[in-house]
Amino acid sequence: MDPQLLVLLFAATLGGVIIGALPGLNATTGAALLLPFTITMEPIPAIAILTTIYCAATFAGAITAILINTPGTSASATTCLDGYPLAQRGEAGRALGMATVSSTIGGIISVICLMLAAPLLARMAYNFAPPEYFALTVFGISMLATIGDGTPLKNIIAGALGVLLATVGKDLLTTVERFTFGFNELSEGIGFVPVMIGIFGISELLVQAEQLQGERKLIEMKAIKLPSREDYRRVWKTILRSSGIGTFIGILPAEGATVASMIGYNEARRWSKTPEEFGKGAIEGIAGSEAANNAATGGAMVPTLALGIPGSPTAAVILAGLMIHGLQPGPTMFTEQAEFAYAIFWAMLLVNITFIFVGLFGAKIFARVTFVPVQILWPIVFTFSIVGAYALDQSMLDVYIALASGVIGYFMRRFGYSVVPLAIGLILGGMLEKRLGQSLIMLDDQWWLMFARPLSLLFFVLTILALFGPFFWRLFTQRDSINSTGK
Amino acid sequence: MARFAVPCGTIVFCMLAYWLSTQFDRVPPILLRGMQPEDFPQMVLLLIMALSVLVMIFDKPIEHDPMTFNVWSSLGLFVVFALLSRIDLFLGLGVFAGALAYTWGERRLWGIGLVSVLSPTLIFLLFDQVFRIRFPRGLLTNIWYG
Repeated sequence: MDPQLLVLLFAATLGGVIIGALPGLNATTGAALLLPFTITMEPIPAIAILTTIYCAATFAGAITAILINTPGTSASATTCLDGYPLAQRGEAGRALGMATVSSTIGGIISVICLMLAAPLLARMAYNFAPPEYFALTVFGISMLATIGDGTPLKNIIAGALGVLLATVGKDLLTTVERFTFGFNELSEGIGFVPVMIGIFGISELLVQAEQLQGERKLIEMKAIKLPSREDYRRVWKTILRSSGIGTFIGILPAEGATVASMIGYNEARRWSKTPEEFGKGAIEGIAGSEAANNAATGGAMVPTLALGIPGSPTAAVILAGLMIHGLQPGPTMFTEQAEFAYAIFWAMLLVNITFIFVGLFGAKIFARVTFVPVQILWPIVFTFSIVGAYALDQSMLDVYIALASGVIGYFMRRFGYSVVPLAIGLILGGMLEKRLGQSLIMLDDQWWLMFARPLSLLFFVLTILALFGPFFWRLFTQRDSINSTGK
Repeated sequence: MARFAVPCGTIVFCMLAYWLSTQFDRVPPILLRGMQPEDFPQMVLLLIMALSVLVMIFDKPIEHDPMTFNVWSSLGLFVVFALLSRIDLFLGLGVFAGALAYTWGERRLWGIGLVSVLSPTLIFLLFDQVFRIRFPRGLLTNIWYG
């Protein structure tokens, strides 16, 4: 590997850890803000930097979760539950040591799964025709129902709005201009970068304005401690289980590290011999949450690289980065652009090894980053956001799109519509329309023939299950409990 | 109120966009392969409208506090930035950053100077010198570009 690239990856790891520790910033926002920096780079370092930021920022959330009871990212919210009580008992070093080790193991296991599963999945998808791709993309979008903070209905609306935004510009099949309002810059469509910078970065500025926080207290920590043999004996099963859970959840389209950490934590408690200790400083709680959220990063890259369907919000930003650099995620990536896929694998593996050192030696310093006053941090983030939005196409229209997206994103969040589905809808929208058009041409406008193809039918059935499964499950369990109580 | 206001607003927006989509050029049937350009956006718009009706019927209203002064002032500063950026992008950024820091409670001169002068200048130099990005000419950028 190129030594220059190694230095770059180390710097990106430090940057990712700082981003993960800063209040309001997370892996998705960090990747969106840094996307413009990678424009002038070669594709391999650019994509390696974005994936490094993804892994490092996801890990760094644990530092602030343990030391100041504020999760740096939502994926570390469950780490607070046991990490902070441990820190209050004077065992912050032990808690951080466990978070670092379990994050590293979870991350490495998931990257190994990624290395094995992504090429296999890509090989399976290699023979997909447009109807199968269309059905798969519909399934990917249907998974948006369960992500983010919004309700399923609102998530699908936000996703559909993203798909609608993707229709701005020239129609790919007929070249007719749509919703361009006479702006030549819009002929090529609305750029991913300004919208992502707006909805993740600028909208967060308004959210921060709403909750300008008060004083926070950093818990004293003498030194970080590697977990003891007794700790390992208690948590090794939890780490392995959570790594598996995290990788699996990550592979599901659109599901990310937050869901993984919640399930990882709950399963750790369910299997624990001392579940009553959870919430009071159980070391398994930290291991369960942290192994799962870091394992989700590798898992999320499986559908992103093999199928072109983002496995998480941050993977959606990375997918946008791949497209900006002229790469086409999907089955052909492993045959025609294999070096890029393997660069991503190695970058992720390397960052997971690097942050064990960063975590062990730098946690105390990085925790101090959270004390950068928001009134200093956010004006600088805004300047970065606007310059970044401008930089890709060097167009002032993109600056105004970023600004408008920020305001729209803020109001969406305020009214319970998650912005993540909007971003994913925008990325998948173009693909969805193109594949529908190609399917109709292929099937001679007889769209119902899509249901006669076994694989597309399978994806449509999975879509129905993803959309209505939770509803029917609730109905079924309610009826079951009514029958058992006899009421 | 928001329970109905937001879905109703969404539906009105979709109806407007639907009307706009009826104005798209159409491809003559003899040349058409697949869909007309308006078919897909219209399908998505109808889906959004149908789901918005469902939100009105089934969704629980969200309780939230009124918007704070800081949010209003930040939104106001967005407008100021948008106007000033017509004169010069970095003038807009500097004024926005300084004013935002001030309204969020920063009173130290070095703090305001850091966000309004130093950071935009460093970011400008980084993008101009390292990434070779050419910014639009304006009152301040002309000093650099000559």
